[in-house]
Amino acid sequence: MPALRRYARALTRDADRADDLVQDCLERAIRKRGLWQPTGPLRAWLFRMLLNIHRNDARSRRRRGEHTPLDEMTIEPSTPPSQPGHMALAEVARALDRLPDEQREALLLVVVEGASYADAASILDIPAGTLMSRLGRARAALRTMTGTGEEPRLRTVK
Amino acid sequence: MSAPTDERSDIEVTNEMLLGFADGQLDAAQLAAVEAYLAAHPDRAADVAVWRRQNGALSTLFGPIASEPVPPRLNPHRIAAQATARRWDWTRIAAAAVLLVGVSAGTGWYLRTATWQEEPASDRLIEGAVAAHSLYVKETAHAVEVTANDKSHLVTWLSNRLGRQIDTPDLTKQGFTLVGGRLLPPLAETGTGPAAQFMYQNQTADRLTVYITAATNPPGKPFETYNDDGVEGYYWANDQITCTVIGDLPQAQMQTVAKDVYQQLSWRPDPPARS
Repeated sequence: MPALRRYARALTRDADRADDLVQDCLERAIRKRGLWQPTGPLRAWLFRMLLNIHRNDARSRRRRGEHTPLDEMTIEPSTPPSQPGHMALAEVARALDRLPDEQREALLLVVVEGASYADAASILDIPAGTLMSRLGRARAALRTMTGTGEEPRLRTVK
Repeated sequence: MSAPTDERSDIEVTNEMLLGFADGQLDAAQLAAVEAYLAAHPDRAADVAVWRRQNGALSTLFGPIASEPVPPRLNPHRIAAQATARRWDWTRIAAAAVLLVGVSAGTGWYLRTATWQEEPASDRLIEGAVAAHSLYVKETAHAVEVTANDKSHLVTWLSNRLGRQIDTPDLTKQGFTLVGGRLLPPLAETGTGPAAQFMYQNQTADRLTVYITAATNPPGKPFETYNDDGVEGYYWANDQITCTVIGDLPQAQMQTVAKDVYQQLSWRPDPPARS
């Protein structure tokens, strides 16, 4: 449940809307379980359902001409800004919002929710290769938008 | 894009493996191969370092949300209790439908209860209604066979094909106007014959469909709900017809629409003479 909320919040960037989304998802899950048993693990099933509701919402919002408010999420003031080796969080958040939906959904599942590539591909209902190319494009786009492509190259990792 | 093979390893290091390395998704053998590769390729090591900083930033941004207290409205037990309370409305409709079926078909309650478990024709009809809905709501030029401009022809034609006098429910109170309708083939093992689909649309281009067939024999479940991936369905049946309302509107709105359809279509075709 906390993970569902986190994913919903990261997708919507709006605390109230995220909780509405989770509530809607749980209501449907409870109703639907009575009729049809979910196939596969519960966690993946819930994430899949959450995503579908989110996509429907986003679609009808666009139809109604509403705009998703950006940057509603407050950045914790305690976070040190732009340390070396750290990215400016606000900048990353803005860049994330500008990613295509499909890339943002994939990246957040893997990075924030810690889903395995196999689980993420299953939740998004896409082949593994498609997932990898979305992740690759998401990372390249984030890098361009946050300007970290121009940083001096590091010699070692780890 | 794929990275060249590292000469000192027999595992080919691909760009996907580098991504996997940054995301901690590799097994031990791959991990060792990638580490060796990165030591020899500082430019790729720099890429991986950027990806890891991206991961760090995203985790810092969203990680803490999971440790926030969960508000009571997201308590599954509470949601389950509320869902049961809301279903009450539908339970009353279902009870009414049972009464109608029971009275007019003249069969006993216990007999029907037994047949429900053997003949879930309602499930197949709902699935058919959902499939037809998903197929045709996406259409722009060919969403319907006969448009609402030709409504009297539409109603006569489909009534003849179903062998039941049916009509298009008026959903203008709900903000929906009739787009038109079409005839659909019979579904196996339902015994209902062909189906009529009416499509409605509101001003924001949300569409819903009403799927009607002749009654199943035996009568089957008087009512059933369906939800899958945001598509909601409300099925009910009497001794004349089965009707499934499908749409992807918010649940409360779908329920209101479905109730309206039910109230308009649950007429008795040959009402007993009132004396």
